[in-house]
Amino acid sequence: MVGKDCVAIACDLRLGLQALTVSNNFPKIFQYGDQVFLGLTGLATDVSTVSDLFRYKVNMYRLREERHIAPRTFANLVSSSLYERRFGPYFVSPVVAGLEPKTGQPFICGFDSIGCIDFAKDFIVSGTATEQLFGMCESLWEPDMGPDALFETISQALLNAVDRDALSGWGAHVYIVEKDKVTKRLLKGRQD
Amino acid sequence: MSRRYDSRTTIFSPDGRLYQVEYALEAISHAGTAIGILAKDGIVLAAERKVTSKLLEQDTSAEKLYILNDNMICAVAGMTADANILINYARQAAQRYLLTYNEDIPCEQLVRRLCDLKQGYTQHGGLRPFGVSFIYAGWDPQRQFQLYLSNPSGNYGGWKATSSGANHASAQSLLKQDYKEDCTLKEACGMAVKVLSKTMDSTKLSSEKIEFATVGQTKDGKIYHKLWSAEEINQLLKEHDLAKDETAEEK
Amino acid sequence: MAPHSNGTSPHWSLKSGVHQQGCPELQVLLGITGKDFTLIAASKAAMRGATILKAADDKTRQLNKNTLMAFSGEAGDTVQFAEYIQANAQLYSMRNETDLSPSALANFVRGELASSLRSRKPYNVNLLLGGVDPITDKPSLYWLDYLASLAPVPYAAHGYAQYYCLSILDKHHQPDITLERGMELLNLCADELKRRLPIDFKGLVVKAVTKDGTVEMPFDNDRIVKSA
Repeated sequence: MVGKDCVAIACDLRLGLQALTVSNNFPKIFQYGDQVFLGLTGLATDVSTVSDLFRYKVNMYRLREERHIAPRTFANLVSSSLYERRFGPYFVSPVVAGLEPKTGQPFICGFDSIGCIDFAKDFIVSGTATEQLFGMCESLWEPDMGPDALFETISQALLNAVDRDALSGWGAHVYIVEKDKVTKRLLKGRQD
Repeated sequence: MSRRYDSRTTIFSPDGRLYQVEYALEAISHAGTAIGILAKDGIVLAAERKVTSKLLEQDTSAEKLYILNDNMICAVAGMTADANILINYARQAAQRYLLTYNEDIPCEQLVRRLCDLKQGYTQHGGLRPFGVSFIYAGWDPQRQFQLYLSNPSGNYGGWKATSSGANHASAQSLLKQDYKEDCTLKEACGMAVKVLSKTMDSTKLSSEKIEFATVGQTKDGKIYHKLWSAEEINQLLKEHDLAKDETAEEK
Repeated sequence: MAPHSNGTSPHWSLKSGVHQQGCPELQVLLGITGKDFTLIAASKAAMRGATILKAADDKTRQLNKNTLMAFSGEAGDTVQFAEYIQANAQLYSMRNETDLSPSALANFVRGELASSLRSRKPYNVNLLLGGVDPITDKPSLYWLDYLASLAPVPYAAHGYAQYYCLSILDKHHQPDITLERGMELLNLCADELKRRLPIDFKGLVVKAVTKDGTVEMPFDNDRIVKSA
């Protein structure tokens, strides 16, 4: 979700097999640089596989280029890596959020499982609670929110959306990314 | 006589030597000096930069110090072009280990991976060995801070303080004299510049001529590595009264 | 070191017409962590269709001094995969004169299972991996299913046992419990399983991993429980 000179990204913590919850500590957001984040929803095994794969690729990029990867560059890496598996895709729908290193402008985008990028100026949602999240974000989001307002908005949107979804919830991680600081908060949420 | 056993790396000479490997070692002893010192709370690596010119871009990346991994750095003595190949190999090996085990590769394993590759070139056909020695500085949870030296033959060893490149024999004896068990990282940095100042050709040091890097631990226990900036090096040189007089004209 | 041949050999396809042997869901795997230990329990029945072939089956393999793996799933796949992992863990220990930590092993197993998942004939194996970290002495437990989903958990189960035991453990488990309390919890779980599962799973093998290694725990499988 985009704010004024800041972005936020949040996920729930549930890992389950259909109706059975296996773990309530399975984060789906991964950091790939000072100000680049990737959220992954979908098949749990592919969430792990894909996040580990990008850690490999981004670490090699950083060592080779001697700088952190920019969110736009990373988005294209995600896109091309997913499209490599066009005919046997990873079952994930990623979300990228970050700040452009030079301008400090917010950048967010989403993908389908084969890497088609969906750029957005406001918010991106993905996962089992997609419908609920769209509704929450459409009604709560407004342009140019500061970091505190953005945190409140994204948290309320996520918590209230997952409460109407049987397959997600069980706590949440929220990251607020500002120019020189990243704040990570754990939301306890409903544990039922 | 020796010519007969030179052309291929795979052949022993009658007195049991591998000439190409020895020539590689010879090549390294002409390169800039690199030294590494193990302290109780960190490791310092320092290297002499041979190519200095006013025309050279100063802000470009380090020439002799490289990051291998989140917990390991190395100093190069020898042919930088050869080193680049090996460094890329090491980085990939480290990342592959991280991908498989979700843990950083233990230092000695990474050193051994590189040395296995180097060894291959002393045995298998027709190619020349890598003309580089590395000094590795790293940390892992099992053996904490570690310092290693490897050479073109594929041999490696763990050290408390070691050196490679030009004048490494005299650097080594200086280190032997000055090394104190349980020295701090700060003392080790001082020792490093002192040794370098004595082994290098030029009498006065400057940030253009040397590179510096440290591996250490922050207060909250996180391992960091840092390539020093020119100002930081100058500051250190000033502290030890080894800096070049700044008013003096450069040649 | 390929886990299984993916060549042109048609052997496996002979099996594809046969129904899955033994119901993997009826095999019981349980894991509980505590203050300084991890307990792993597995049912002793080896089944094929409606028949119990063996009543003293051990569905666990020791990977190294401080890591134990329990497995359930399709007959044949389970032992083959577990022993492949065991061999790799032991090879690592020999080569490097140090053992892999439970966390490293769990991620290694996940990687192997994940690449198997997208091969022509994936392994159908569910796993629990329990151990104590050789450096920090922290106990840990990892839950893995045949899709190679990996989750670190304080307590875990596989198969139908999940539905009965997880709720019991939700209620009674604390992170800092002693080994004695861990065994009590296992008894609670075993009693409930005997009460609710439609078949006799022939009791549990129970093993405890501590920093000193792995020991088999005495476990009373003859307790009679009243049905509900």
